Amino acid sequence: MNSSKWIWRVVSIVSVLATVLLLAGFVYAIKDIQNPKAAAEQSSPSATPQESTGAKSPEAKKDLKIAVIGDSLAKGTGDNSGMGFARRTVSELAKDSGRKATLLNNLGINGLTTTGLLPKLEEKGTQYVLGQADVILLSIGGNDLFQGADLATKGISGTSNPGTGTELDPKDLLKGLPKASTQLKAILERIRAINPEAWIVYVGLYNPFGDIEELKIPGNQAVASWNQSALQTINKYSSMSLVPTFDLFQHNLDKYLSSDHFHPNGDGYQQIAERIVQGIR
Amino acid sequence: MINLLPLIKNETIKIIKKKRFYVILLILLVLVPIFTYAQMRSAERTREKFHGDWRLEVQQQITDNENSLGSDRVPDEWKKYRKIFVQQLQYYLDHDVNPNEPNGVTFTREFMANSITLFIPLLIMAIASDIVSGERTSGTIKMLLTRPVKRWKVLLSKLVTLFMFSSLIVVSAFIITYVVSGAVFGYKGFDMPVFTGFQITGSDVDLSAVHAVPQWKYLLMQGGLIWFVSLTIASLAFMVSVLVRSTAASIVVMMAALIAGTILTNMASAWSSAKYLFMVNLELTDYLSGTPAPIEGMNLSFSLAVLSVWAVAALIISFLVFTKRDILN
Repeated sequence: MNSSKWIWRVVSIVSVLATVLLLAGFVYAIKDIQNPKAAAEQSSPSATPQESTGAKSPEAKKDLKIAVIGDSLAKGTGDNSGMGFARRTVSELAKDSGRKATLLNNLGINGLTTTGLLPKLEEKGTQYVLGQADVILLSIGGNDLFQGADLATKGISGTSNPGTGTELDPKDLLKGLPKASTQLKAILERIRAINPEAWIVYVGLYNPFGDIEELKIPGNQAVASWNQSALQTINKYSSMSLVPTFDLFQHNLDKYLSSDHFHPNGDGYQQIAERIVQGIR
Repeated sequence: MINLLPLIKNETIKIIKKKRFYVILLILLVLVPIFTYAQMRSAERTREKFHGDWRLEVQQQITDNENSLGSDRVPDEWKKYRKIFVQQLQYYLDHDVNPNEPNGVTFTREFMANSITLFIPLLIMAIASDIVSGERTSGTIKMLLTRPVKRWKVLLSKLVTLFMFSSLIVVSAFIITYVVSGAVFGYKGFDMPVFTGFQITGSDVDLSAVHAVPQWKYLLMQGGLIWFVSLTIASLAFMVSVLVRSTAASIVVMMAALIAGTILTNMASAWSSAKYLFMVNLELTDYLSGTPAPIEGMNLSFSLAVLSVWAVAALIISFLVFTKRDILN
């Protein structure tokens, strides 16, 4: 029974070693979990944070990198195919000019307002994405102005009973405007500072309530003055542009709006994308 | 104590000669390549989408999770998880560390964290469920007990052998996973920093105690926690093996308990006394990675206590039953 002796020796020694190792790990784990102490802020030297400079070589210019940031419009809410104007712009660019375009990231978040976007721009991940991009598509402000798509439905129900339609009072539309447009200005300037070279495209607002009698004129006014104040900032910079959508939707709401009556549908996004591409060319 | 060692030796040789341990190694050698391949494919795909830039990938992950936070269709508990997840990802991004850098060590870490509730216990049961009931099925138990050795010593030798093999299984699972996945993802990554110490209060993460640990240390801690879970499972399976006559039945009993546990962890957050069940407390590695516990009020010492109580009770029952019971065929 020489083999049994051999088996016993190996198994016993290895298993005792394994047990000791695991026991050590166990004790260490308990210690670490029960009294976690933050190590002195150690930066990891392995990764270099500023790789973005290398990516900006002239050769990379051929390949357009597109980053999208903003609200539900940027995300593509309402588009059944899920493409939004972001992916549609990419495919339009490829079709149109043969330039290869890639979508870096779509950072659109449903319901984002200018107040919500500002702190996002201070996050490292966002800054990294924006820093990498050649074209930055921005859509923001719709929620500031109309306080979310939720109110859209309330606004509609308010029309049938005008007395209770306090949620979307036409006067309120203009009330938040000054604050929001200063924030928009701050956002545009911040993005410019994060990436001084990228082409920044701001997607202008449209009035989704143009077919509701008492919201039509104040809505149009609010949107127009919003776009106007956006232009004031945008005009100051050379590589920044506003893509107007107001006229697109003005008389085509049933054609271009999705069923929630706030976001564009696939066709609407397609129209926006085509306009964006025209501006980039 | 002197005549215990030969008994343990005897049991060890039995397990090796019966090829139980080889079966376990074989299972690992067959399954790990499959998982590795699956992981490789999904890694390739995401790399394609994000052009090999992990920061873009992580940022997109954050955005996607933030988007789902706004949705009314997402249950509140999931939102809590995702909020915590977003904060952790943000932390990794802020410190310029790729949380899922593809290498053999990271794969091992993730794989072991996922196998703690079912896969590793299953392997343990392959030995534990058979260790007493197997002797009954084959009738060799009579031979064992007719020897001039006290019954509790016979059982103790079996238990010690089982614990020895539990350690062996955990370590070999680590080694095999690392060797196999390393062949695909590369053998580097031991020094890569992993963050631990996320303290969760409600849906917020306290980052004050977060610290970076080199991945090898993390693996060591993880191994220790998995080892503790394995011993608990071994003790419980041991008890079932004493109580039940056939090996098949004893495996079924344990499997049923474990599967019930995974289902419960997914849906029992409303039933808070479920936290006293051992199956819900198996995911000890979650405390390391900062994943919120399935039920409010669970923490590491709680889970360890629950598991210990179950294990000790199981062992007491097995010894009482084994020493008292008549061995009929």
